Amino acid sequence: MKEAMTTSIGKSIKKIDAVEKLTGKPVFCADFGFENSLVLKVLRSPYAHALINSIDTEMALKISGVKGVLTAVDIPGKNVLGIINKDQPLLAENKVRCIGEPVALIAAENEEAAEKAMAAISVSYEELPAVFSAEESLKENAPVIHEKGNLLAKKTIARGNADQEFQNCAAVIENTYTTSHIEHVYLEPDAGAGYVNDDGLLVVYASTQNPHYDLKEIISLLELDEQQVRVIQTATGGGFGSRLDLNLAGFVALALYHLKQSVRLIYSREEVFLATAKRHPLKITMKTGADKTGKLLAIKARILCDTGAYGSYGIAVAARSAVHSAGPYSVEHVDVESSCVYTNNPFSGAMRGFGAPQVAFAYESQMDLLADALKIDPLEIRQVNALQNGSVTITGQKLEESVGIGNCIEAIRSHYKDACQNQFIKNTRPYQKRGIGIGCMLYGIGNTGTKNPASARIEIDQEGTITVFTGCADIGQGSTTIFTQIAAEVLGVTTDHIKICTADTKFTPNAGATSASRQTYISGNAIKQAADKMADTLLDQAASHLNADKANLILTNEYAVITNNPDKKVSFSDLAVSLHKKEDDTCWHGFFDPQTTPLDENGQGAPYATYAFACQLAIVSVDTLTGEVNVEKIVAAHDVGKAIHPEQVKGQICGGIAMGLGFALMEEFEPGKTISMKDYHIPTSIDIPDIEPIIIESNEPSGPFGAKGVGEPALIPTSPAILNALNNALGERIYSLPANLERVLEACIKSGNFEPKENDNE
Amino acid sequence: MNKTIEYIRPADINEAVNFLDLNGNNTVTIAGGTDVMIDLRSGEISPEYLLDISRLPDIHGIGMKDGLLHIGAGSTINIIARSQDVYRFAPSLTKATETFAVPQIRNMATIGGNVAHCSPCGDTVPSLLVHEAYAVVHSISGVKHIPVSDIASGPYLTNIKKNELISSFVLKPVTDSQFSNFEKIGRRKALAISRMNMAVILSKSNNGTVDFIRFALGAATPVSKRIEEIENFLIGQKPVEKILWQAGKKLADIMVAISGRRPSTIYKEKAVQGLFLRLLHPVINCK
Repeated sequence: MKEAMTTSIGKSIKKIDAVEKLTGKPVFCADFGFENSLVLKVLRSPYAHALINSIDTEMALKISGVKGVLTAVDIPGKNVLGIINKDQPLLAENKVRCIGEPVALIAAENEEAAEKAMAAISVSYEELPAVFSAEESLKENAPVIHEKGNLLAKKTIARGNADQEFQNCAAVIENTYTTSHIEHVYLEPDAGAGYVNDDGLLVVYASTQNPHYDLKEIISLLELDEQQVRVIQTATGGGFGSRLDLNLAGFVALALYHLKQSVRLIYSREEVFLATAKRHPLKITMKTGADKTGKLLAIKARILCDTGAYGSYGIAVAARSAVHSAGPYSVEHVDVESSCVYTNNPFSGAMRGFGAPQVAFAYESQMDLLADALKIDPLEIRQVNALQNGSVTITGQKLEESVGIGNCIEAIRSHYKDACQNQFIKNTRPYQKRGIGIGCMLYGIGNTGTKNPASARIEIDQEGTITVFTGCADIGQGSTTIFTQIAAEVLGVTTDHIKICTADTKFTPNAGATSASRQTYISGNAIKQAADKMADTLLDQAASHLNADKANLILTNEYAVITNNPDKKVSFSDLAVSLHKKEDDTCWHGFFDPQTTPLDENGQGAPYATYAFACQLAIVSVDTLTGEVNVEKIVAAHDVGKAIHPEQVKGQICGGIAMGLGFALMEEFEPGKTISMKDYHIPTSIDIPDIEPIIIESNEPSGPFGAKGVGEPALIPTSPAILNALNNALGERIYSLPANLERVLEACIKSGNFEPKENDNE
Repeated sequence: MNKTIEYIRPADINEAVNFLDLNGNNTVTIAGGTDVMIDLRSGEISPEYLLDISRLPDIHGIGMKDGLLHIGAGSTINIIARSQDVYRFAPSLTKATETFAVPQIRNMATIGGNVAHCSPCGDTVPSLLVHEAYAVVHSISGVKHIPVSDIASGPYLTNIKKNELISSFVLKPVTDSQFSNFEKIGRRKALAISRMNMAVILSKSNNGTVDFIRFALGAATPVSKRIEEIENFLIGQKPVEKILWQAGKKLADIMVAISGRRPSTIYKEKAVQGLFLRLLHPVINCK
């Protein structure tokens, strides 16, 4: 039974829901059309910081078709949200802390009535001084945004003596890096819907990354029991972290609670931009020192994370930006502080990488600067410092196995050499410069030093049908497909024999969030454990059926078969029938919580059970007359442990690179200015370079079939690789993202690339 | 919001101008709709009538007539991009339309709309200006010609009256000896409103000096326009790199004089020089 005979693992089977998506079948929240559904609208604050003296809803309620106007006083339970720290009201109570903060919820029979009601609600605000930068917010006389103070959290990593060690370094580099607010721009604008069933159950449809968390928040808001609310994830058009927040489900549930009538709430793209979380802008001052061989000796970093009006996932961003600040490198002396600070900007939350992409831009720029100062090749300095099996991280964690960064760097080497040889040959146009850059990263899989388990269940009915139950929300990344592969592999069947039920709080066990690149590793393990238990029971049962030694049996093609006598076999359905007859359990549970230890006050501990690694090479060309950048090619080597579905891994890599390219070159959300995709640019298909994904499989022993994760890692090395390539092209470095037209042209001018050529020809 | 809008589709241009004469003030004319639909959704406009002219036969067709290139105002950007006549007689317009927005928009948007909308960033306008194009404008009083340079009186402000309709544009074609080009800068490679665009027609005499030039700048001034100071500066000069840089610097000064200094000027006054050099760099070595 235990012999490796991968029937499903490592095969790029047809992705579950691919055909449905292509033929327009999946039902998204905005598609629900319950009879007599009420239209919900959210009235929002026009002020960044203001007291609310009163809210007068009387006129609005008189409008024909208006069924209700709900404010904070209508919330029966605790009016406070947040998975890590609770600080965000569903509806503002006596104060608003950012533009766009929800103040009232309107329910009406139609859009027009709802719109009229919005205009008829009179809110008396008293404007307060506001603060829009993390640095200003920490100053003594800054406006107080939350009673407990403007500093939400500070994470420290202290190891050795960095300040002293800098004196022993052959080169020390210190710079300040900044990044922008970033909008997720998932394909599907947020929407929600729901109804109340005959038993009074509130049924909430949500476009979410975590239905079980949504349920917890809703019952806390409404002071209900778990049995009184059901949250069902609908087809979800991406998330990238924003749908970890309770974006709409709270409004839907509150309206259902009061009005007992089906409702729908659909955001326009403008409302998505206004209302949902952003990526934290970071200001990173980093000092890095190395000896003359390039070996890193010490790093010091001071990081400021602007979390805006509310914490959301800000504490995780502070923790991750600190833990990941040295990248995939060994360094003995570490002094890092990352502070998460409230401002009156829109709230920042989770976004693909939780601070890791921002610090990767800093530490990878530093690596190139050190290489330059020490006259070492950029690829070599990375290999010299790369973590290996047995290395100790900056949190003091010894990495025993599956440290694939060295292999990722080696996989890039030949591409890098070719690119270096062609760098000048292929320069065809005047005033065009080509550059080559490397970006590496490590990324801890799962939440940082906290419990983050997943449960799963697997059942077999009397016909032998196998069903996996998981709370995991597949938001497009393909977890559902992966899970069927894992279950099929264990049970010796093909994936089309596995049914799967996902992300419905009534039927599925809690799998935690689809975030932190954790579901393949964590839920994958939970499902594997449940399937292993089921396989074990089936083999026991088959052994008695066939009167054979269990050790001589295998499961294959829905039969238990004697290995050396394949004619002697018993079908799963027969086994299931006898289990049912015996009233034996036909349902098996799996549970997995990665082995971690919390970080102590010096940031020491084992925050993640495993890490993903990557190295990307970017080749860019710059028009030095205009600052336009063309990313020609990216080669991306990613250590994913084991690619359970190689095409999906490649899909994640390509998607991550697209997002990383936007982060590097064009994306910038300016609070108060950016309204929609008209003024927020994400890359189009022709902005995407030629991408060559390379899968590195370092086999993680604790992972399901050796797998780790790739969702966030895909994005992280791209912006540093592009920025390093820009520097390579121009000889001038850019320290703020995005490297937009203005910043690139400025670098062209500073570096003397924007000048008439000397030898003027006639 | 949600006001009912009556949709009108006239059979021919006379019916259209008659309707406009009666209802012009409450009517928005729609062809491709790539600007109108956005303005309707945002509430920027709320007309009583939408006059759909997209299928009027009178506003379609591209071809040479009496030595001039006629382009129907209802021609979509994509049709212009693929037109052999446009490629031969107004190649800068081919380049401008090939790189215009994205295929979905190119399939819908019309050149008439691009001009009449009077966005300072309209990508077809600089080309029309260097071809000294005029618009053929209909009303119940008859037909008149308005130079494209006179159509916009400011950003999104048009001199085309509410009772008038553009049926076509008439361009002076390039000759085989003339160089023509279009360049623009966007924040990404497609679907980006131009930060700046420009078009040129130029020819050199036997001794290598410029003997003919028309140059127009867009998206950098409130309306796209010919910059005659630059044309005059280059006439009689050999367009070598040094001279083109000087012209670009002059162009930057002119742009700042027209538009004033704003935060975006830091970038634009350099980029306008850079783009000007890119626009004309090919003529340095050509005959």
